[in-house]
Amino acid sequence: MQVTLRVNGKLSEVPPSFIGRRLLDYLRAELGLTGVKEGCGEGDCGACTVLVEGQPMCSCLLLTGVLDGREITTIEGLPETFLAQFSAACAEYGAVQCGYCTPGIAVMAAWLQAGGSEVSAQPITKLLEGNLCRCTGYQQIIEALSALQ
Amino acid sequence: MTGEQPATSSPAPAAAGVPDRARGLARYTADLIPPGTVLVGLARSPYAHARVSSIDIQAALKIPGVLAALTPADFDDIALGHQGADEPVLTRVARYVGDGIVAVAASDQDALLRGIEALHIDYEILPHACSVDDALALDQPLHPAFLDNVARRFSAERGDWEAAQKRVSTWVEGTFQTQAVPHAYLEPRATLVRVYDDRLELVTGTHFPSVLAETYGEIVAGWGARLEVVTPDIGGSFGAKWEHPTHLVCLAFAHRLRRDVAMVLPRRDDMISGRTRVAMRIQMRIGATDDGELIAKETMIWADNGAYTGHGPSVTLAAAIRMDNLYRFSALNAQAQLIYTNNVPSECFRGFGSPQSAFAQEQLIDELAEQLRIDPIELRRRNAVQPGDTTLHGWQVGSCGFNDCLDAIKDRIQTHRRENPMATSDRYRFGYGIAGATHAISNRGYDHRFDRDMMSLAVEPNGVLRIESGEVEIGCGTVDLFAGIVADHLELDRERIRLVLGDTATVPHGLGCFASRTAFFGGRAALDASRRFAQLCGRLAIDIGLPADTAIASVIEAAVTANRTMELRVTGSYEPDHVTVPDESGYGNISPAYTYATHGCCVRVDTATGLTTVVCYWAAHDTGQVLNPQRARGQVVGGVVQGLGFALAETTLVDDRGHMQNPGYLDDRVATFADAVPIECIFTPTFEKEGPRGAKTIAEPPIIPVAACVANAIYDATGARQWRLPMTPEWVWRSLCAKGVLAPDRTAD
Ligand code: FES
Ligand code: FES
Repeated sequence: MQVTLRVNGKLSEVPPSFIGRRLLDYLRAELGLTGVKEGCGEGDCGACTVLVEGQPMCSCLLLTGVLDGREITTIEGLPETFLAQFSAACAEYGAVQCGYCTPGIAVMAAWLQAGGSEVSAQPITKLLEGNLCRCTGYQQIIEALSALQ
Repeated sequence: MTGEQPATSSPAPAAAGVPDRARGLARYTADLIPPGTVLVGLARSPYAHARVSSIDIQAALKIPGVLAALTPADFDDIALGHQGADEPVLTRVARYVGDGIVAVAASDQDALLRGIEALHIDYEILPHACSVDDALALDQPLHPAFLDNVARRFSAERGDWEAAQKRVSTWVEGTFQTQAVPHAYLEPRATLVRVYDDRLELVTGTHFPSVLAETYGEIVAGWGARLEVVTPDIGGSFGAKWEHPTHLVCLAFAHRLRRDVAMVLPRRDDMISGRTRVAMRIQMRIGATDDGELIAKETMIWADNGAYTGHGPSVTLAAAIRMDNLYRFSALNAQAQLIYTNNVPSECFRGFGSPQSAFAQEQLIDELAEQLRIDPIELRRRNAVQPGDTTLHGWQVGSCGFNDCLDAIKDRIQTHRRENPMATSDRYRFGYGIAGATHAISNRGYDHRFDRDMMSLAVEPNGVLRIESGEVEIGCGTVDLFAGIVADHLELDRERIRLVLGDTATVPHGLGCFASRTAFFGGRAALDASRRFAQLCGRLAIDIGLPADTAIASVIEAAVTANRTMELRVTGSYEPDHVTVPDESGYGNISPAYTYATHGCCVRVDTATGLTTVVCYWAAHDTGQVLNPQRARGQVVGGVVQGLGFALAETTLVDDRGHMQNPGYLDDRVATFADAVPIECIFTPTFEKEGPRGAKTIAEPPIIPVAACVANAIYDATGARQWRLPMTPEWVWRSLCAKGVLAPDRTAD
């Protein structure tokens, strides 16, 4: 079985040892994309969020084998212009404390900014319900994300 | 990485500031584990209390990829616990479900799991106790040295109790139950041990790298090796990440195999073996005169230590006495016991014991106000501690803005009431609540030798100024605060400053992050170091032939050119001189300053379901001068939301066999974006002359009054007092039933 992904714009063939394993493991251990975090491994916390074909998904719930040909974007692959804006907004509004949840939220923010139909239909608090943050109490993240919209 | 290890250590990682964290560039322990590192896992007890009768590791060792196994015999004379060394690294007697029995090291994850499965462990099941009452009734001790299962007793009697009692005209009393809550930090516990020639390097997120280096250093020395501790970025802790048996398991494997080893706990393992807030039953009564003078307070506490002693003793003592310091009582009597059970070991958790005792005290103060027909804010105001007071427990109050906090909340509630007439119906009831809090900035009793902080400033050959501190960045903004103070004082560009925190090989000693002390102690050390550095620059300037008042940045530049950066190195320190080591009963001026707060909220209670919704929340804090308003607000909002979780939702559910029923985020009900409530954060500044630039600290206080504040609001809305946490819809509904307050459509069924 051959599985090839496009990760952050680069084609990468998944070695046999990572087929049948989680996308999260492949990204972190094989590609060294440690911006993708594991908080729970159960789809509860959103720290491992990546974009698959532009849609946010928990990389801890996806097996590499089913992703052949897909386009994956991690925080490392978000455009520099976006990251500059996002990190400036985080600093301005105090949206980062320990920062462990932040990469997942950055990916969500990029998706929000791209603005699909679900995005306009729902409030940020609903859209980000799957991203836990134990530190901030959310208020300042909401302010930063609102400023980015 | 294989047998060949580099002989020297990698350069200490710089702690990440906000912009880097926002870009996903922070490096937490798990991010530093290279592929090929030996992985470690544990076989855990499925029983709450059982003697291990036999262990067979042979089958496991035959599995390809399994490298070694460790059993309790490998750690026989080692017991962990900063405040009561009673926790084995691997145990012959399991004392909670999840207690580690055998550790396995393997070259990959699959081999590790198969190795653990292949272990044969036989148990002789013993009777267990998962509540303090069961533990007190149990006819056998969980630890042989504690025959009645009481790990520690505290007693604090102050003032003339007999005389005071005579003056009391009204008593209010109640028994309150608070729950165990996991810290639920987002980064699970992770440990990496790197092996160098004669040295082991422990990489792990912790509150106190220096203490770990000391404690484990002695053990490792017994193996003929040296130890350094490196603290990478930390993905939250809130009082959980101190000593842990997994550290020693990894150190032992690394030493034995001469290879780097790592262990990252899966979330479920982290929750069942992680630690929780200390659950308490608090029986309390408070007496006052008719005209509202608070006279006497009596407290009895039964605290659930869990299987082993973390910081349970300090937490229990704090719960017994700290909140007393908010008011001018005439006499106090507190008795507390900390009881071993077969629950997951408890730990300190943001707020120490005060969120628990505030839940009791601040409800009773409201109860008194009602009985005496005095406004609850007015009652608190009349009895509030004042600057210059020495409290019955020996706290010397410096700056104190409690009254200002009370006034601010009074103002917010009045305005809100006026502007938002609430549509109270039979079913939906609205109510307002308030609660006060106080907290110590440090705890002189923590380490009897000293409570001191140091910081070094050194210029690197390229002209970057390196800040070295034994303190850690746990998410509270330490990096930005330290860099900000130094940059400001020396008029340097923030970009030219780098921080190295918590690397015990290179940085000066720091006691670590507890009791919200880092900003205060580290801030003062930063100011001292900056002053010394400026003087040094002045001298070097003259030496190089520049005017003595040359800008620091230019002196550094000149030093780079002249190749004399090595000379620019100083160490500053701070150690308060007016604090005292408390006696056994907790008497003493334990902290160089104290913080104060009042919270207020408006809730809506659905009497048909018991669901409480927080409509609006105000948090007023006296934290001295606010050094970084955005950061301070972050601590307040974050603390309040954690407090709302503690108040309304989070708990540790244990079945009758001692198994945790909800070891995951969803089942534990950690707050999500959808639970975000509007919180207004108000700072009522005082000037604390002991603090860095007049500041006090803010990390812990915001969680303390929350549960009490919400409980008082529920009472205001419904007339039903809240005796237990969390105040879930079910329990609030039960309290409404008991009071006869129910929506008409539900009273029928
Ligand atoms: S790690 Fe994937 S959702 Fe938590
Ligand atoms: S900043 Fe720590 S979990 Fe969000």
